[in-house]
Amino acid sequence: MDPTDDQGATWATDTTQRRGPGPMAEDLAIASLDLARSFASGATMWCVAPSWAPHAQHVAVEFVHPVIVGKPALAAVAIGGGDLVGTVRAVAQPGDVLVAVAPAGEAATCALMRRAPLWGLKSIWIGSGCRPPAGSADHVLWIDDELNRSAYGGRIVLVYHLLWELTHVCLEHRGLLDQGAGTPREQCDGEVCITCSDEGRLAEVVDTGPLLRARVRTAGGLESIDTTLIGTPRPGDLVLVHAGSALTRVDG
Amino acid sequence: MADQMSPEMTDFLYPCVAPQARDPRALLIELAASADAKAAQSFEIGCTTINRLEAEISGIATEMVRRFTAGGRLFSFGNGGSATDAAAFAALLRNPPQGHALAARSLASDEATITALGNDVGFELIFSRQLIAYGRPGDMAVGFSTSGNSENVVRAFREARRRGMLTLGMAGHGGGQMAACGDIDHCLVVDCDSVHRIQETQDWIGFAIWEKVQAVIAAQVET
Repeated sequence: MDPTDDQGATWATDTTQRRGPGPMAEDLAIASLDLARSFASGATMWCVAPSWAPHAQHVAVEFVHPVIVGKPALAAVAIGGGDLVGTVRAVAQPGDVLVAVAPAGEAATCALMRRAPLWGLKSIWIGSGCRPPAGSADHVLWIDDELNRSAYGGRIVLVYHLLWELTHVCLEHRGLLDQGAGTPREQCDGEVCITCSDEGRLAEVVDTGPLLRARVRTAGGLESIDTTLIGTPRPGDLVLVHAGSALTRVDG
Repeated sequence: MADQMSPEMTDFLYPCVAPQARDPRALLIELAASADAKAAQSFEIGCTTINRLEAEISGIATEMVRRFTAGGRLFSFGNGGSATDAAAFAALLRNPPQGHALAARSLASDEATITALGNDVGFELIFSRQLIAYGRPGDMAVGFSTSGNSENVVRAFREARRRGMLTLGMAGHGGGQMAACGDIDHCLVVDCDSVHRIQETQDWIGFAIWEKVQAVIAAQVET
């Protein structure tokens, strides 16, 4: 819709398009507690916004340089540049948090979100408009506006301002921070495993060896797999692993 | 510098959950209610401000289009979160989701220039020295400061005024030095003392200006 074609009523002044978090409030609360637990365990928060770069820096500076005197400075970093997947893979460590401010379907963000669990990262996806598919990130903080204009005009800024404030409240409740934090992900070492044998699991190729073998990183850690079915993959490729074999490549 | 609030401004919140509590449910309920209340507050401040400034925003947009059409460029600046708000405003004008792309950019986005100026001549001059290099009489300077007191922003307005640029200030609290300095053609003050609520409203004002700019351009194209 053209912002100017509606008899002078524009999106900026059409207040019916600007409601508060409403249903998102609960998601914000849960995400904030999870984020606080990560910070309490020593996590760094990596912030990306591939198509709205200022948002990544705004999120990061809120946490690094608190607006309220006396609040602790937290480790948050904005990441820009071309190869976001390569950069986050290189700098992030298991237990860290990835925050993306991006529309659903944004290619670099999708690639990062798919890999986040393989790298041991928690993920928070903030955006507006059409939602990403369920399960795309650990926490999805979404403004459901049809025009997808919330990247502008302060509404997405409000979401991460609230995330910052609520996270600091959680950090003041020390008794809540050690529960569920740092829980190791489910390990799977053997070739036969009820969970793994029943389903394909996402993995990222680390490197390839002789005899059509490859080392891959899954949510459970490093594994050696057979790549006979897909041919030799390249480092960084995503593959679906089932019972010790790569079944197919996965886009992204 | 970024503007800080005193700690007591949020300490009255969340009184019901003891710091040593171990069941998160009570806290989560309070947090959700607080988020909802803050959003409502942000919305109310935004509505009030946009309504109050409607005529001024319209006049600013008309003048900006006149300058853009004549080849004028827009430079935005601020510190911390306000630097990102300045960059977002320039990006909205330059790479709009629709409509006409305009010559706008942020003076806070080049790390080489910022650190060179900050290191060699002083942080209070990082924007004004750039305007000496870039600024021409038909250009526009848009500065963001929630307190209205950021020294490098105030100094940049002085330089912009000296060079005949249009000066537009986005301030909060009472407007601070920005409201008092006499170098700003339009000083838009958000009547609020929360840094976060001010920033959210300033972004809304920026968006409203962009919409009005696009409307003025569209009207020109039709006639």
